[in-house]
Amino acid sequence: MAQVTAVEAQQWLIEKIAHRLGVAPGEVSPEQYFDELDLDSTEALILAGEMENWLGFELGTTTLWYHPTIKDLAAHIAEESGQRAAA
Amino acid sequence: MPPRRPGPVAALPLRRAAVGGHTVHLVHPGALAPQVHRTLAEALPEGVGLTVLDLSAVPEYGEAALTGGRAETTVEALADWAAGLTSHQFSLVGWSFGGVVAQAMVERLPADRRPERLVLLDSIAPTEEYQQPDEALEPPLLLGWFAMYLGAKRGRPVPLDPAALLGCGVDDGLPLVLDAATASGALLPDTPLPGLRKLYDTYVDGLLRNNRLTAPYRPKSSSVPLVLVKAERSLIPEDPTLGWQPLAPHGLSLAVAPGDHYTMLTRPDAAQAIARLVHPV
Repeated sequence: MAQVTAVEAQQWLIEKIAHRLGVAPGEVSPEQYFDELDLDSTEALILAGEMENWLGFELGTTTLWYHPTIKDLAAHIAEESGQRAAA
Repeated sequence: MPPRRPGPVAALPLRRAAVGGHTVHLVHPGALAPQVHRTLAEALPEGVGLTVLDLSAVPEYGEAALTGGRAETTVEALADWAAGLTSHQFSLVGWSFGGVVAQAMVERLPADRRPERLVLLDSIAPTEEYQQPDEALEPPLLLGWFAMYLGAKRGRPVPLDPAALLGCGVDDGLPLVLDAATASGALLPDTPLPGLRKLYDTYVDGLLRNNRLTAPYRPKSSSVPLVLVKAERSLIPEDPTLGWQPLAPHGLSLAVAPGDHYTMLTRPDAAQAIARLVHPV
């Protein structure tokens, strides 16, 4: 897959989370912590698997602990994607 | 940014004992949240407390389920950790792999601190019969357990005919679980297969972690009587003792609780049955 930017990753995350929560994307703040969203651990892992499939590379299961907001995770994904594209 | 995840609580009191009262300690191996034992806490007689000893609070153990299933610890080390959390007067219960740790814990305590008996909730004995390499845990078995787990996590059973899984690998078996889970309402209709695969892989890593800890472990025979409560839909339906007989020279009592390996912890009727065995009135 081509390199993913932070904006693209953030948009993807917001769309998927909004769909899971049954709310409009505008209601999901990129600053919100994942554990403040109404997603249980099952849904969080399913989302992580779907994201890895979209990205084409694996993210560690502990990634969400260390990048606990949508914005922070999107930035991490962009960095990781950039490193892989450059390699 | 610092990690956000709050660490699991090592000893989680779900009900406090009355002053001078008795406390039940329950060794919990993860997979489900430790609060799942609240139903049992509420079923215990008035004044009796229940504290969950959550093995997930041991970093080497808890994080291994998220990082490939290899824990840099041993059953003995986990047992010593859990024993250090106990009070003086207590009853002891272990669910699933927690039963293996609880049994080791009893034998590592001084004789005057041991409980009168040990109650095992659908726990498989760490005996030769069940000490097996990873390859012995084949996909049809794991997929069936995963469907059971998914149903318990989502509060909706995922009915899946074991015969349909016979001969399946993960790639052709997991879509059957997905179909059953969406049909039962346990998962949203558009749940993607790669998402379910991530959940399955994490679940299996937790099982493999426990299997790998059990494989080299050499248990001592129990110095106290054992009480095994099997779930009606146990992980191993065909073995009434789940392998505990050789470790029970002081007796092995058998009971059955309604539900499966996971829902036996949340069903009030199962909790009533277990409470009577844990703390006879």
